[in-house]
Amino acid sequence: MSTTLVEDGLYVGLTHDHLDAKDIMDRVRSPKAGAIVVFAGTTRDNFGGKPVKELQYTSYQRRALQTMLTICKAIREKHSLTSIAMIHRLGVVPIGEESILIAVSSPHRQAAWRAGEEALEECKAKTEVWKKEEFGGEEGGIWRANRDGAAGVRVQYDKNSKPE
Amino acid sequence: MAPIGHFTVLYFASASSYTLKDSEFLPTPLPLSKLFDHLDQRYKGMKAKVLESCLVTLNLEYVDVPESATDGQDLIIKEGDEVAIIPPVSSG
Repeated sequence: MSTTLVEDGLYVGLTHDHLDAKDIMDRVRSPKAGAIVVFAGTTRDNFGGKPVKELQYTSYQRRALQTMLTICKAIREKHSLTSIAMIHRLGVVPIGEESILIAVSSPHRQAAWRAGEEALEECKAKTEVWKKEEFGGEEGGIWRANRDGAAGVRVQYDKNSKPE
Repeated sequence: MAPIGHFTVLYFASASSYTLKDSEFLPTPLPLSKLFDHLDQRYKGMKAKVLESCLVTLNLEYVDVPESATDGQDLIIKEGDEVAIIPPVSSG
């Protein structure tokens, strides 16, 4: 299950499937490019030393795709990229697997390095995707917030309890 | 689709955990300035614990939620509208 938006030199997507680095590389591959930079974000087994069992991502899909497209369009223009692609995985992502892939291609490597980093930072700041870290046991999970390194909000209410 | 005389409100992440819902239908019309108080009445404590750190979209566009209805900037949520509560994001 996945949804995508595609324009000339732009590709953004959300999917419940495994992510494939080769696939996203091929989406930005071009005879006009001398460099492809790929970033893979993978799920870490701890937060500040505390063991994390798995991560779960949810999204406001229609809004998130628009945000990702806007980010990619602006970065493609700013760095004169040949092409840019960004895909985020949703649902449960086991530890150590890719949760996001970004690929950029450009005539020369400097622009590709810079654009790749900037695209990730913009995505983390703005895209309407939320990460829940599951600690396992009775502790449950925490909705993480990227902004200001905030510690996030504990999920206090499971399906069997009412809000206080 | 929301029934006649209602709009859809979508809850994500901490807002969804607090309401124990992904979405629901609420009656229209509702001034945007009243949205947080309205939800706080339904879900006690939600304004301080969740909503004050959230953004709001109306039909997929971000909107400013006015502090009060008196500043002349207030939008009215209409039948069929889609409102979403957007907690601080955490992609990547």
